Amino acid sequence: MDHTVLINCSPKKKLSVSGFIMKCAGLMVRGKKEYLHLRTPADRERILQALKDAGKVVFAVPLYVDGVPSHVLPFMKEMERFCLENGLRLKVYVIANNGFIEGRQNEPLMQVMENFCARSGLEWCGGVGIGGGVMLNVERIMITVLFGLMILNMLLRGIQGENILEPVRSFGISVAELLVLCCGIIAFTVRLALHISKGTDAGKRYTRIMLPSFIFILCADIFFTIISVFQGGFFRGWFSRFKPDAGCSIITGKDQ
Amino acid sequence: MKTIIHDLGKEQNEKLLAAADQVICADGRYAPCQGCFKCWTKHPAACEMKDALYQSCRVLGMSDDLTVITENLYGGYSPAVKNLLDRSIGISTPFSTYRGGQMHHTLRYGRRNCLYIIAYGNISEPEKSTLKLMAERNAVNMGFRECRVAFCADAEEAGGLA
Repeated sequence: MDHTVLINCSPKKKLSVSGFIMKCAGLMVRGKKEYLHLRTPADRERILQALKDAGKVVFAVPLYVDGVPSHVLPFMKEMERFCLENGLRLKVYVIANNGFIEGRQNEPLMQVMENFCARSGLEWCGGVGIGGGVMLNVERIMITVLFGLMILNMLLRGIQGENILEPVRSFGISVAELLVLCCGIIAFTVRLALHISKGTDAGKRYTRIMLPSFIFILCADIFFTIISVFQGGFFRGWFSRFKPDAGCSIITGKDQ
Repeated sequence: MKTIIHDLGKEQNEKLLAAADQVICADGRYAPCQGCFKCWTKHPAACEMKDALYQSCRVLGMSDDLTVITENLYGGYSPAVKNLLDRSIGISTPFSTYRGGQMHHTLRYGRRNCLYIIAYGNISEPEKSTLKLMAERNAVNMGFRECRVAFCADAEEAGGLA
């Protein structure tokens, strides 16, 4: 039972940070591994069947409103029943990521997962809660761009007969600077992967992107301003207290 | 304005209206949040998915007092209630600030009174502890000055506590 199932619980098809960290952890986990994505109800049965042969399961979960995203909860209920019926005693690890900078904001999610294990007869083995993981998306995009620029620079230098290794050095320094920002995430992900490989209790650990929070907030505000402008233009009620349309269909009110 | 969100079934709406100005039954028949953030960036306070929860954040945002009646699930909300809350993040703006010493989004609708969570079902002691923590965190995130949590054994009793 060395088989590890790694489940990406993000609803996103692309650029899922939770999924990216999960894959990085998976690279360092020994033994047979299976990567699965839980996005829709159609994914549930496939994942449950994969659990039959597994000894360990890793959930990579984004934090939604201080907890587990709603599309994951019905799967957890099904998994509880499935594990109890089949007598599965899996070891459960969790990678939680949230958009705020404090990794500790993942604590309620971690507790929910621990309670889930208690209900399902599974072995809670802890995990890592990450704050500001979205910066990893920025970093991997930047590293890709820097790599492209390095290749271009090397080609130009080669044509001009100059030292083509200089761009490699510059690229290495830039990558090292970017990696320093996520050294906590790297260290705790490696640590978690080692525990998963050995099947030992990892405990709950929290880490974050290594930026002062006020700089992270500034970066986040700039990011959302740019996205807002590109998606719809300037100031379309970014701060307005919109009222629901008359006859909003979910409400049962006294005057209706 | 006081709003009750519940997962007790639509037939309880009229009864719950005696204790609130408006009632929302979370029946779980909605698409889950896709994490696209377009309710922040593209069309503020309105979801990209044009179903019944399209403007749920506006309803919750206009509520001075919010009562959530939910079946306990591992110390959190039921899938139907969580679905509604996940789809309502437009209650805040995409911009960030400090609240309670931590990073949070700024509030579109300002500070409000009380978040009251009534959890029913079989609830273990660790799950009660998690629910209390969840309520505190949600209250800070959504801008409620106060939060309360009550536990009860069954749905009928939960409806009476609202």
